[in-house]
Parts: sequence; C-alpha cells; structure tokens
Amino acid sequence: METKTETTTPWMCDKCQKALVSQKVKVRYLEGNFEVELLKCPTCNMVFISEALALGKILEVEKSLEDK
Amino acid sequence: MDLDALLEISNQCIHSEPPVCVASCPVHMDVIAFVHEIEKGDFAKAYKVMETKIPFSRLIGKICDHPCESHCVRKEVGGSIRISELEKTVIDLGYTSPKKPLLMPKNRGSVAVIGGGLSGCVAAIELDKKGYNVSIYEKTDRLGGSLWAYEAQGLERAIIEEELSVIAKKGITVWYNTEVTEDTLQHYIEKYDALYLGTGAWSKAYAIHPETFQVNDTSLFIGGTLQTQNRSSIFSASSGKRAAVSIDRYITKTSMSASREREGVFETKLNYKIDTVEPVEEVVKTSSVYSENEAIEEVKRCLKCQCDACIKACVHMQRFSITPDRYIRSICHNERIVLGNRSANLMINSCTECGLCKEVCPLGIGMGDIIHATRQSMVERGKMPPSAHDFALKEMQFSHSDSFSMVRKQPSKEQSKDLFYYPVIAFSQYARGLYKGSGKTGYLFYPGCQLSSTHTDYIGEIYKHLVGVIKEKEADNDVGLYLGCCGAPADWAGRVDLMPESIEKIHKTWKEMGEPTFILACSSCASTFEKYLPMIKTLSLWEVFVRYGLPSVDIKKGKRVLSIHDACASRHNSSVHESVRSIVKTLGYSVEELEYAKEKAKCCGYGGLVSNANPEQAKDFVQDRIHKSAQDILVYCAMCKDAIVKGNKRAYHILDLIYGDEMNQKIPQKMPTLSERQNNRKRLKHKLLKEIWNEEERAVNTIYSFSLHLSDAIIALMEKRFILLSDIEKVVDHSLTCKERFYNPETLDFLARLRVNNVTFWVKYEEHGSDITVKDVYSHRMEVVED
Repeated sequence: METKTETTTPWMCDKCQKALVSQKVKVRYLEGNFEVELLKCPTCNMVFISEALALGKILEVEKSLEDK
Repeated sequence: MDLDALLEISNQCIHSEPPVCVASCPVHMDVIAFVHEIEKGDFAKAYKVMETKIPFSRLIGKICDHPCESHCVRKEVGGSIRISELEKTVIDLGYTSPKKPLLMPKNRGSVAVIGGGLSGCVAAIELDKKGYNVSIYEKTDRLGGSLWAYEAQGLERAIIEEELSVIAKKGITVWYNTEVTEDTLQHYIEKYDALYLGTGAWSKAYAIHPETFQVNDTSLFIGGTLQTQNRSSIFSASSGKRAAVSIDRYITKTSMSASREREGVFETKLNYKIDTVEPVEEVVKTSSVYSENEAIEEVKRCLKCQCDACIKACVHMQRFSITPDRYIRSICHNERIVLGNRSANLMINSCTECGLCKEVCPLGIGMGDIIHATRQSMVERGKMPPSAHDFALKEMQFSHSDSFSMVRKQPSKEQSKDLFYYPVIAFSQYARGLYKGSGKTGYLFYPGCQLSSTHTDYIGEIYKHLVGVIKEKEADNDVGLYLGCCGAPADWAGRVDLMPESIEKIHKTWKEMGEPTFILACSSCASTFEKYLPMIKTLSLWEVFVRYGLPSVDIKKGKRVLSIHDACASRHNSSVHESVRSIVKTLGYSVEELEYAKEKAKCCGYGGLVSNANPEQAKDFVQDRIHKSAQDILVYCAMCKDAIVKGNKRAYHILDLIYGDEMNQKIPQKMPTLSERQNNRKRLKHKLLKEIWNEEERAVNTIYSFSLHLSDAIIALMEKRFILLSDIEKVVDHSLTCKERFYNPETLDFLARLRVNNVTFWVKYEEHGSDITVKDVYSHRMEVVED
C-alpha cells in the first residue's frame, strides 16, 4: 500500500504530550499486510489516522483487498 | 455452484435474440443497426450495415424480395416497416465505392463454380475470400445471369457491370462461353477439389442436402435456383454464401454441420408483444424512392424489437446496464477467477433478490435465486467482501441477543387477576381474553425486528388486541408473544452458517409452545418461514385482522386516496394483497393501484441488504418506486416505509392508519436512526415485560459519566457511515478512561479511536467538563498494528 499522507500535523499525543512523528507502521486487512508511513506518537506508539486518510486511501485499499 | 448449469440459463435468455426481420432474412441483415443509422441520418453507415451481410448489396438492395417485411412485428399495428424501400434510399444516399480488394494468397485449394449467375458469383467471391483458387465456367459471354432481367427495371446496366467487375478485380478466372453439362461434369469433379453448381437449370435432378447443399458426400455442392426452387434473389445469394461455407468445411475436412443451426432463415425465440404498441401508419413515399426525411420518419416506426422486460422493470440492471445473459457470464467469471479482481462483487451485492425479473421474464428466468446462490458461494470460498453485510449482520446479532429476544406465553389468569373486576372486565376485550386463558398457546405473535424498531409503541397494542379478538372466538387458544429476528439478513447475505442460530431457535420455541400458529407482521419473516420453517403454520397479521376483526378505530368515509406499495417478499401471497386492500377500504380510504403491484411489486431497496452493500443503488430503488406515484403511499412492511420516507415521500404503514396520527400531521415524517432502532427494540422488550407480564428487567443501559451532544449533521453522518451511538460512547469512554487520544492545541479538540471487533471507530470531540460535543465520526476496517 503506497500512501502519501500528512507528514506534519497540529495533533499531538494527549497522554504523552508529544508531537507526532512520521514512521513506518504495520497495517493489515484480510490477506493484505503492509508497512506504511503514518503519524504516530514516538512514546506510546498510538497511530494517528485522519478522516481524509480513513475515507480516502484506506477505504480504497480495503475495497480492493475485498475484491481480491 | 454449478457454473455450467448457470451458463445454460444464460443461454436461454432471449435478450440477444434477433428480431423476426433478421431471423427471416436469409442473410440476416442487421435491421436494428440499419434503422439506427438511418434514424441518426448516417446513410453511409447504414449502407455499411447492408454491405456486411448482403452480397452485391448495391444490386440486391434494389431488387430484394424482402421476406423480412412479411414477418415484421409492426405489420398488424400500422403496417410493416418498409425495409426494402429504405434499402433503396440508403443505396442512393449512402453508397461508397469499396476499397480496392486485398489480393489473398490462393493456396487452400481449387474450386470450380459452374454458372456465373448471382449465386455463382456470390459463391466465387466467398470462396476467394477464404483463400481458394476459383474458376467460374459461364456458358454465355457475361456474368450476372438472372440479374440482367432487372436491367432498366430497378437496376442500371452500368451499375450491374461495375458491381460484377469485382470478380475480375479479385483475380477470379472466368471461362466465358463454356457450357458444362452432366456429360462433362465428371471431368471438372476430377480436376477440382470441389464444385459449385449454380446454373439455373440442369438436366439431372440431384438430391441436395438441405443444410449443407452437398450431393451425398461428394465434392459437388448445388445452390442458386436449383436449390432454392424459387426466383428469389436474396435466397439465391444466401445459398451461394452457405454453399461456400460447406465447400470450405469439406475441403478442410471439418464438421459439415457443427454450429450452423441458424444459417438460413430460422425461428427466433423472441416473441415481441404488441399489446401496448400504438399503431402508426407507414410513411408514403412522394417519389419513386423515400427521400432522406421520409426514410428517417419511416424508421421511427420501427420497434427495434428486443426483449428487455427485466431491464425495464429493474433499476439494478439499469444501474449496471446489464442483461441476465451477460450478468450470468459475469458471475461465472467472478466465480472462476483465481488471481485478479472480482469486479462483479459490488454488482452481485446490489441485487435486492426481489424476484421481479422472474415475474416479468417471458421465460421465467430470475436473477434472485442465482444471486442468492452466488452470495452463498462467495461466503463459502471466503470471498464475500466483509464490509457488504457486516453492519446488518451485527444488527441481527443484536436482535438475537437478550437485549431484544424474548418469548412469553399469554399472561396467566393468576398473573392477571388484578384486571378481573368491573368495569375493566366489562369494557376491555383484552381483560376478557386473559380471563379466558387456557394455558395452551394456539398463536404466537411474531412482530419481527424491523417493525419493533420503527413502530415500537404499536406492538403492545397489537398484542392486546390479538388476545382480545382471538380469545373471543377461540377460547382454547391463548396468544403468546415472541420477539426476535427470523434470520432474513443472514439469508440475504448468503450466510448459511448463521441461519441455524435463527431457525433452530424458532423451531425449538415452536415445539416447546405446543406448535402454535405464528402471526407474522413482516413479509420478509413470512418468506423466511416459508423457506426454512415450512412445518410452522403462519398467518399474516393482516389476515388475522380481516378474520378476527380490526382494532376499533374512528372510521370516516371519504378519506384520501392512497397507492399501495406491496412488499416484494409477499409478491406471491394473494391473501396478503387482498387482506391489506380490504383493511384499507374498511378504514375508509380508496386505493389507486401502482403499475407494478401485487405479484409485480417492486422492492423498496432494502431487500437483499442492498441499502447496506450499495446505498446508492438502494436510492435508485426508492426513487424508481416513488416517482410514479402521485398519491401518498401505503405500505405493510416496516422497511418499505423507512426507505420511502427517507426518499422524501410520505408513506404510512397500514398500522399507522389504525394506531397512529401521522396521517393527519403536516410536519415532515421522520424515521428512527440506526441507533434509535436498536434502542427501540431494547425499550420494547423492557416495556412489554413490565406492562404485560409485570416483570422488571435488570438495568439495560450502560451508564456513562459523560453526556454526549450530537448535532443533526453528526447524526446524519453516523447514519451514512453506519456508526452507532453505542460505538461513539465506547470510543469516548475509552479515551476518557485511558487518556488514549490526540489533542489539537489549535482547535482544542480531542480525537480518539477504539477498535470494536473488526472496525476502528474515530471520534473527534470537544470536552467541557462532562459535556462531550462530537464534531466528527469516521471508521475504517483496516487494522493498524501499534507496537
């Protein structure tokens, strides 16, 4: 899964009070396993997914995996 | 799935069957394409259409004896389309000289054509195209034979000569002034690989094979007048063409008969109905041939006969612009694919399985059962897209759960003794019904999950009415109540694995209750029972109302006119149709029937879980249903009402006429949201247990420490994205408890996520003390591994 996502964001981790960093993150759906660059908290690893990403690229990949 | 059997069905579909004009044309000119081009005013393209099938089209088009016209479907409604006249105009306006012929290598064998008349020339050209070295033996000094009879009678000499000159241009050898007779025939038989005999007359009468035109199994083939036994130029040309096919097969030693069933004139399976066709008289030509405009006018009368009854009736087939034959081939492709995209998945999940196509198909081909089997196969092979039906199946699980599901016998006399005093017992039929309690459950009222979700407050009233009226007539039979889901969503989703959970539970309850008759208020429940629980006797609530009496309701004469939208699941239940109409009329309304009613009912778009799998397609169904109705719509299925009201058309459930007051309100109707629907079911159980059985449930709702505030825009978004209030509550609760959330210092918003089963829900909110104002909700199914 290739994605071009936001690399900077005003959002920060509320628990760790850290700015988010762009890092490789594992994502999986059905028989698909990918590594993608996503924003996450460098301390607790909580991954940020924006609405645009969820309803855009992620939905698109979900649909194409469902039809595989 | 037996894909071969499926393809058999696809072959039966007559959508691609040619119209009778094409089938009765010996060379099968594509009349529909021809008239389409004329209608567009493109006479050059119309000529190309002629040229594709008619040999020497510039000549034959002028003299053709047009067997097509005597079979034209228009014949009885204004007169046959004048195809022969149109051909003349097309030649005059659209003829373009052919490209210089490509000279093919002639290495496949040698053929002699005896007789250079029309059929001989056609056979020679066809064989030349196939790569044979052809020699024509003509007893006179010119080619064309009987064509010359038309000189100055439809054909001009110069044009006959010009057209026949193609023989020489192609390099076909012509031996003029060379007569072949029966005596010399053997010489040619020995010299050539095959012989075509196309002389108008011959001294010996050979037995000619009616399909292949071969004489026994020799190399001799006979066509033209000798074979057709008539003077028809088009039959003559056709025999030349067909003999050429036979000769090619003979020389190349391939089957003489395979796949040739429809070579000549054949009977089409298409039976175009003219019941609704308005007569339009043929256009009379003002000169010797149709002018351009006259031709265009004349083709407008053409019915372009094609079977499209199912497509006309079904917005699903319209959306995917597909016909049953191609649909089945797409399914087969989708089923067989190993690597690559199953591109038909969305289409397969966009059929409501309503069965209308089967109703309107002249051959009774229905896609509903096929789609159903396909979905089951997709599930079995693990190829069903999970997102298609996930929400509906979770909804079903909710209905199966203790939150909604319950079974109770009629309250016993002991339980109800508080009601047995004057005046209650005197004025309440319900109280008298309870007083006559026998302990034997003769009937079990099963309102279904959807009616319980949308018309929650009616259920208790209906139950009390049933106890009252039934006990009045059948003292022996108590009336119980059963809340649950019949399993229709699993059936629609192809989840055979989930069916037993519904079915076995219902069956067990039925046994334990002493095999009562189920009173069903939902058409989908009725069809599920019929399919999976045929041993259970059922009645529709509407039949019960007619048989035992309606609840007392203020009946005023001259109430308004309503159009009845029948439930597609009840299309074959005429007793339901009649009961509903009888109730509506008894209540003082008159009925304006819709074009597609009763057995031809159209689906509201909920069937087959289409509103889950493809909401856009579901909208098509609603729009299609409502745009043809001037009146408000009356329904007897809760889902139909939901769909129609959401399509912005006033609709009333038949129960609204009895128990509701929506009819008299001018304010826009509103259906409960997905979350409210779940909550209503929970509330219904709670309320019925309390009010009728005097039972208190444990607290049914989780209490959270925050209050959620949702704007109408957010609620609309939740509906669109299939997100429940309970999902949002879980996300917010988790984020507050575990502090797992993002914070935006610019907007001061929080964003939290929680994975609930197989979906991750995201909620953006503003926090003011315990007040949480939701600003956005979304979800995804992709799992993010956080480590």
